[in-house]
Amino acid sequence: MQNNLISELIPVLLIVTNLLLLGSSRMRACITLVAAQGIVLGLIPVLLEGQQFSVTAWFLAIVSITLKGIIFPMLLVRTLRETGTRKEVEPFVGFTLSLLIGVGFVIFSMWIASRMSLPAQTPIAALMTRAGLATLLIGLFVIVSRRKALNQVLGYIVMENGIFAFGAALVADMPTLVELGVLLDAFVAVFIMSIAAHQISREFDHIDVDQLNTLKG
Amino acid sequence: MDVTRFIPLAIALLAAPLLFGIINRTKAFFAGRRGSPLLQLYFDIAKLMRKGVTYSNTTTWVFRAGPVLVLSATIVAVAFVPMGGIPAISPFPGDILLFAYLLAMTRFMTIIAALDTGSSFEGMGASREAFFSALAEPALLLGVSTLVYVSGQTSLSGIFASVNPAVWGNYGPALALVAIALGAVLLVECSRIPIDDPNTHLELTMIHEVMILDNSGPDLGIIEYASSLKLWAFGSLIVGLAVPVRSGILIVDCATFLVGMLVLAVLVGTIESTMGRLRLTNVPRLISGAIASAVLAWALILR
Amino acid sequence: MGTGWELWVLLTASVAASVASLLLRTPRQILRLVSVGGAAWSLLAILISLQVFICGPVSTAFSWLRVDSLSAYQLVVLALVYGASSIFANGYFLHEESHGKFGLHAARRFAALWFGSAAAMSLVLLSNNLGLMWVGIEATTLLTGFLITIHSTPLSLEAMWKYLLVCSVGVAFAFVGTLLVGASAQKIGLESNEMLMWTSLSTAAPLLNPGLMKLAFIFLIVGYGTKAGLAPMHSWLPDAHSQAPAPVSALFSGAMLNTALYCIMRYLPLVEGATGYQGWGMQLLLIFGLISIMVAAGFIIFQHDGKRLLAYHSVEHMGIIALGLGLGPIGAFAALWHTLNHALCKSLSFFAIGRLGQAYGSHSLDRIAGAARRVPLWGMAFLFSIIILIGVAPFAIFMSEFAILRAAISQASYVALGIFLLGTGVVFISALKHALDSGYGKEVAEPSPVRTSGLDYAVVGVGLAMLLALGVWMPGPMRDILEGAARIIGGAR
Repeated sequence: MQNNLISELIPVLLIVTNLLLLGSSRMRACITLVAAQGIVLGLIPVLLEGQQFSVTAWFLAIVSITLKGIIFPMLLVRTLRETGTRKEVEPFVGFTLSLLIGVGFVIFSMWIASRMSLPAQTPIAALMTRAGLATLLIGLFVIVSRRKALNQVLGYIVMENGIFAFGAALVADMPTLVELGVLLDAFVAVFIMSIAAHQISREFDHIDVDQLNTLKG
Repeated sequence: MDVTRFIPLAIALLAAPLLFGIINRTKAFFAGRRGSPLLQLYFDIAKLMRKGVTYSNTTTWVFRAGPVLVLSATIVAVAFVPMGGIPAISPFPGDILLFAYLLAMTRFMTIIAALDTGSSFEGMGASREAFFSALAEPALLLGVSTLVYVSGQTSLSGIFASVNPAVWGNYGPALALVAIALGAVLLVECSRIPIDDPNTHLELTMIHEVMILDNSGPDLGIIEYASSLKLWAFGSLIVGLAVPVRSGILIVDCATFLVGMLVLAVLVGTIESTMGRLRLTNVPRLISGAIASAVLAWALILR
Repeated sequence: MGTGWELWVLLTASVAASVASLLLRTPRQILRLVSVGGAAWSLLAILISLQVFICGPVSTAFSWLRVDSLSAYQLVVLALVYGASSIFANGYFLHEESHGKFGLHAARRFAALWFGSAAAMSLVLLSNNLGLMWVGIEATTLLTGFLITIHSTPLSLEAMWKYLLVCSVGVAFAFVGTLLVGASAQKIGLESNEMLMWTSLSTAAPLLNPGLMKLAFIFLIVGYGTKAGLAPMHSWLPDAHSQAPAPVSALFSGAMLNTALYCIMRYLPLVEGATGYQGWGMQLLLIFGLISIMVAAGFIIFQHDGKRLLAYHSVEHMGIIALGLGLGPIGAFAALWHTLNHALCKSLSFFAIGRLGQAYGSHSLDRIAGAARRVPLWGMAFLFSIIILIGVAPFAIFMSEFAILRAAISQASYVALGIFLLGTGVVFISALKHALDSGYGKEVAEPSPVRTSGLDYAVVGVGLAMLLALGVWMPGPMRDILEGAARIIGGAR
C-alpha cells in the first residue's frame, strides 16, 4: 500500500468506528457508523493500486461504497421505521463495559496477529490485518451482546467489513470475481436479514431477539 | 539562569484568566448575545479580593487552608509546563508525575475543604468530582505515557520539545488519538460541558461549582484564579502536542503557542455551546472512550 | 473428456426450473413440477457422476468447475436425497393443500427456493475454485433459510432467524479461512487465477506454509462445521429441522450437511500436505467429531419431539463422519460410506415423521405413540428407520459404523474408540426407547387419515431395501469408487 499517512488512517478509522459503535446508544447513530465504516473500507481497492489508475479497482470502490454507504443504511433505516422499533440500542452488556471489551479485543488481535506469520508486505498491511481481525471480533461481540435483531445485522455487516479489511491486506490482488462475490454475499445477506426481521416483527410485534427463546433443548 | 525560562510561567500567570473570557465570548456568540468583556475574570478576581470573607461556624482550619493550598499547588504545577518548545523553569526527569500529582493534590484539597463545610450539597459534589477524576486519571496517564514513549523523555519540557513535525509524520494518527484523549481529560478535570455546567445555578446539578459554594471574598477569587490556571495547564498539554512548531525562534514559538491556546479556548466554547450536558450515568462512557483512545494510540505506536 | 457441458446443464436446469415454478398457476401444477423436475434433475446428476466414475474427472469453465470421483460420489448422494425428497414433497404438500394450508404463494416460494437450493448445493460440489465453493455455501444458507418458513409461524420464524444468523457467522469464518488459504497460495507464488483452485493447491500442498494453513483450517472447520452441524456450533440445527417442513428437513440432513462436510473434505488434504502428513488436521476433525457425538448423545436422552430427535441424530452422525475422516484412509472410506447410508436413512425417517405429524397434528413423540398400529406404513417406516439409524445389524449404518470402529483400532486411537462406543451406546438405548414407544406404545391421540399412494410405498420400500442391501453387500465397483474418493481425501489428485 502506498501513501503512508492516508493509508494508515484507514485501519485507525476502522477501529475508531468500531469503538464508537460499541458505545452508541442510538440506532441511527449505529447505522451511520457502520455506513461510514463501509465507505472508508470501500476506498481500499483504490489505495491498494497506488499510483496506477485501474478500472477494476475504481469500479470495485464505487460498487462497495454505494452498497455499504447508501443501500445498506437505506435498507436498515427502512426496516427500523417499518418495524416501529424503539430507537435505542438495548444491550445485554452495558456500553461502558462493551467499550472496554472492544479495546480488549483490539489489544488481543494486535497480539495474536504478531504471533501468526501473516504474509503482510508492508507495515500498513500489517496494521490492516490487525484492524481487520479486531473488527471481526467486535462484530461477533455486537451480534452476541445486542438485543435487537437489527443490531445483530449490523454486527454481521461489521464482521464482513473486518473480513474484507483482513483479506485486502493479506491477498494483494484477490481475484475480482471473489471480491465481488463477497460484496454480493453481504448485500444479499443484509437484504434477506431485513426481510426476515420484517417477517419477525409482523408476527411478533417486536424484533427483540432476546424474546425469541421458545425453542430450547 | 536563562530569562526565557520564566516566560512560560509568566505568561501563564498573566494570561490564564483570559481563557475563560474567550470561552464565555464564544458561548455568547453562539447564543446571539454580545457577552461579557474578555477581561471579565480579571475584574471579578479584583472585585473579590477587595471584599471581606465570611466563614461558616461549621468549618475548621481545613476550609481556610484549602484555597491557599490549591493556588500554591497549581502555580507550582504550572511552573513545570512548557510552552510548546520553550522549556519550563527547572525541568527534571519525571516531573511529569509531579505535575499530575500536584493537580491531584489540588483536587484533594478542594474535596476535603468541601467536605469540611458539612453541607450535603458540597459532599455530593465532592463525591462526583472524586469519581470522575478517578476515571479520567488513567486516560491522562496513558495519553501522556505514549508521549513519553515516543519522545524517550520523562520531563514535560523534554517531551514537548521533541514533538516536531517529523514525529507527527511518523505517528500521526496515534498522536491525534492522544490529543483527543487529553481533550476529554481537559473537559473532565476543568468541569466543562458535557461533564459539568459551569453556569448552572441548581446545586443538585453541579459538580465543581457546588464544592466552592461556601467560599467568599479573596478565597473565592483565589479559587477562580486557580481554576483558570488549571485550564491553562491542561490546555498547554494539548496545544504543545497539536501545534508542532519548533522553529527555535522565541517569538515565533510563543506566538504560535498563544494562537493555539486561543483556538483551543474557542474550541472548548464551541463544544460547550453545541453539546448538551451528559446524564451523570453516561459520563463514564465518555471517559471510557477517552481511555480507549489512549489505549488505541498505544497499540498503534507499539504496532 | 468432453467439454463438460453437462455440468452447465445441471446448474442452469435447476435455475430454469426455479423460474418456471414462479409462472405456474396452481399449487398442484407446481408440486408436479417439483416432483418430476426434481427426479429428472437427480437422474441427470447421477448420470454425470456415472460418467465421471467411468471416464475420469470432468472439468469446464477454465477449470472453475470440476467433478472428480469425490464430488461425483457426493453428487450421487445429493441426487438420491433430492430426488426422493422431491417425490415425497408432492404427496406431503398435496395433503396440506387439500386441507387448505398450502396456497399458491407458498407453493411458488417453496418450489423456487427448492430448485434454487439444488443449484446452490450442486455449485458447491461442482466447483474447483474454493472461493466459488464458498459462494455456493453462502447461497445455500440464504436460500434454505426461507425454506424453513414456508408456513410463517412464530416458531418457524424464530428458527429461521437463528439459522440465518448462526450460519452466516459460520460462513463468514469459513471465508476468513479461505482467505488465509489464498494468502498462503500467494506466498508460494501461484498466479492470481490459480490461487484458489483446488487442483493447483492440491499439487502444491507440500509447499504451503504450515502455520498459515493450520490457522486457516481452524477457521474453516469452525466455519464449515457450523453449516455441517458439528458441535458446539450446532445450535441452529434442532430448531431449523424441527420447524421446517419434512421434505426440507430431509434435504437439510441428507444433503446440505453433507455438502458442508464435503468442503472440509476438500481442505483436509491441503492441510495434511502442508503440515507434512502428520495428521494434525485429522486430529482436529476427530476432536470435533467426538464432541458432536457426545453432545448429541446427551440431548437425545431428553427429546420429546420427533423431529428434534432426528436433528440431534444428524449431529451425532455428522460427528461420526468427522470422526471417520480423522482416522486415516480406512476411516475416510468408512466416513464416505456412512455419508450415503446416513443420508438415505435420515431422509426416510424425516419422510415418516413428517407424514406422522400430518396425521397426528404434532411431531411430539408422546402424541404419536402407537403409530405403527394406526398408521402402518409411516409408523413402521419411522420405527424401522430409527432402528437402522442407531446401528442395528445387518443394516447399512451398522456396517459403516463398524468400519469406523475398525479404522479406530487400526490407528490405535483407543480413547476415540471408547468415546465413540459410549456415545453410540447411549444413543442406541435412548433412541430405541423413543422409537418403540412411538411405534407400539400406548396410544394417546387419534390420527386423521393420511392418503398413502403407491409412490409412498415405493419410496419406503426402496429405501429400506437399499439400506439392507448396502449392509450385506458392497458391489465391487462401489468399493472402487469409495476407495478412489477416499484416496482424494488422503491427498491424491
